Amino acid sequence: MADNKNTAIAQVDLTQVKPYGDALNDGKVEMAFTLPVPYGEEAEECAKQYVKKLGFQEPNVTYYHELTPGFTFFVVYGSAQQTIDYTAINVPKVEGTVMDRVECGEWIGEHIGRDIVVVGASIESDAHTVGIDAIIQMKGFHGHFGLERFKHVVPYNMGSQVPCEELIAKAKEVNADAILVSQTVTQKDIHIIQLTKMEELLEAEGLRDKIILTCGGPRISHELAQELGYDAGFGPGKYAEHVMSFIMQEVEKRGWQNKPNIADR
Amino acid sequence: MGLLYDLSNKYKTLSIVGMAKNAGKTTALNFLIEEAMDEGIVLGITSTGRDGETQDLVTGTEKPRVYLDQGTLVSVPSQLFGLADAGLEILRRTKYSTAIGELLICKVQDAGYVQIAGPVINSETKKLCQDMFGLGCDLVMIDGAIDRKTIASPETSDAIILATGAVLSRSMKKVVEETAHVVHLYGLPEFDENDKVTEFIRQDNYEHIIAFNDKGEGKVLDLVTGLGAARYIDDAIEEDTRYIFIPGAFTNSVVADITNKHLKQVEFILKDPTKIFVNIMDWSQLRKRGFKVKVLKNIEIAAITVNPWSPQGYTFDSDVLIEEMRKLIPDMPIIDVRK
Repeated sequence: MADNKNTAIAQVDLTQVKPYGDALNDGKVEMAFTLPVPYGEEAEECAKQYVKKLGFQEPNVTYYHELTPGFTFFVVYGSAQQTIDYTAINVPKVEGTVMDRVECGEWIGEHIGRDIVVVGASIESDAHTVGIDAIIQMKGFHGHFGLERFKHVVPYNMGSQVPCEELIAKAKEVNADAILVSQTVTQKDIHIIQLTKMEELLEAEGLRDKIILTCGGPRISHELAQELGYDAGFGPGKYAEHVMSFIMQEVEKRGWQNKPNIADR
Repeated sequence: MGLLYDLSNKYKTLSIVGMAKNAGKTTALNFLIEEAMDEGIVLGITSTGRDGETQDLVTGTEKPRVYLDQGTLVSVPSQLFGLADAGLEILRRTKYSTAIGELLICKVQDAGYVQIAGPVINSETKKLCQDMFGLGCDLVMIDGAIDRKTIASPETSDAIILATGAVLSRSMKKVVEETAHVVHLYGLPEFDENDKVTEFIRQDNYEHIIAFNDKGEGKVLDLVTGLGAARYIDDAIEEDTRYIFIPGAFTNSVVADITNKHLKQVEFILKDPTKIFVNIMDWSQLRKRGFKVKVLKNIEIAAITVNPWSPQGYTFDSDVLIEEMRKLIPDMPIIDVRK
């Protein structure tokens, strides 16, 4: 087995990567989509032609059914032709080391010497608490406990549909070191509008360099977060320990160990 | 003489502020860079986001590239340094944070395309501008990101170029109205600088919400922020209260619950127009209720650039758009930078 694996990797040209189906470089992709056309053989042909237009070769409709009169759902296979140069990829990541929950607690006790206060919410129109709960709530997510279980961390979870104003007012009231903004809904780029509003309000309140501002959500990357003016962004696969590791090291970097009050920073 | 020549005589730092994403900030920047080349002005260029990359991070639309002439100063993060097509000489390494590594101040030695990025935080942008002047440039231009308007604050730059365009709305009327709203806000009347009230605010270091009576005596209100505090501000307004100073953001939640009588009685004083986050509709409603406001410092708009093209696939007639703009916004250079 081990030998097989080695040969496979040896054959891969990382400057021209393509999807893998049954064999290397066959480019096989599975697509699922709905077209607003009535169910029938014409619908199947329509899906085929559409996938071809997308640039896939050998389109193959493996499954389709009627969703409701006038709408048909398809699963189509096709061979992709495009390639990507994997070696030229450059993804900005949050800097610093990542520690686990227990290490974080100890590190804060040792290096900061006081509790770190964070305030989190899902802001504006977003009614989803899943993101902010995954990070803050005790039970956490995927076996990664949330900030409520961390030593030397005082988290406030304000829930969902919190106006930016309220989140900022709370952060000011409890002298937060960091604000966590969660955005789950991304239709029509609503998250961009809301995240920008949050950043601008904080800047206008004169708090931007006195509070660490982070955001997270399924469609958020560190790069996007920085473009929007945030200190860090956390996407899928990031847990409470990633967020806390960043915040505590940032608190140390900024020399806020003896500055629990916002006014002193 | 061109537009930029006039501007560089009047201002040291110019921010390019967009009314929306894809309003044509980078196109405006390129237009001004070209002018600078013709005029022989040494430019310093930085950005609050990232510029000159070929694809937009959020929408994936094509973005214009930025071509810089020899002698221009530019801030480039270390990870983008290798991607520059121009020959760059590193003048200084800075401590400002970016998403993509250490920020370098470079001098263009060999003209070409460059990807630009700058500090994330406005106060660091300000320091960077000072660094660039120290290294010998005549005029610094800051390219804004998305529609972050706080960069327009007079604390950061002397004047702004306002980039607006079809992307705002499918209705030309709305594009013009919203642009005029921002221009109106940025040109709000300034409060008398030598007044007792201003002095009091300065002494307080622009930190607290203060109520002033008709004799100009100030009383600091016990509020951490004005946000959501309309009721408390309303309570604090007494018979003889004349002015209320709000140091931070000014949203509907700061004034919504103030009674009409009190709204008519007092005048609000804000630090600068970037603190205002009230949309055009609520603004006119407030006005109707008798709301009055002044700022300590307003924002100079050096020029307005319009982009009649929207990435959503519709365009306006450039001449009509500019004409409509001029009707609502007289006495201001309005240019179509794509022409």
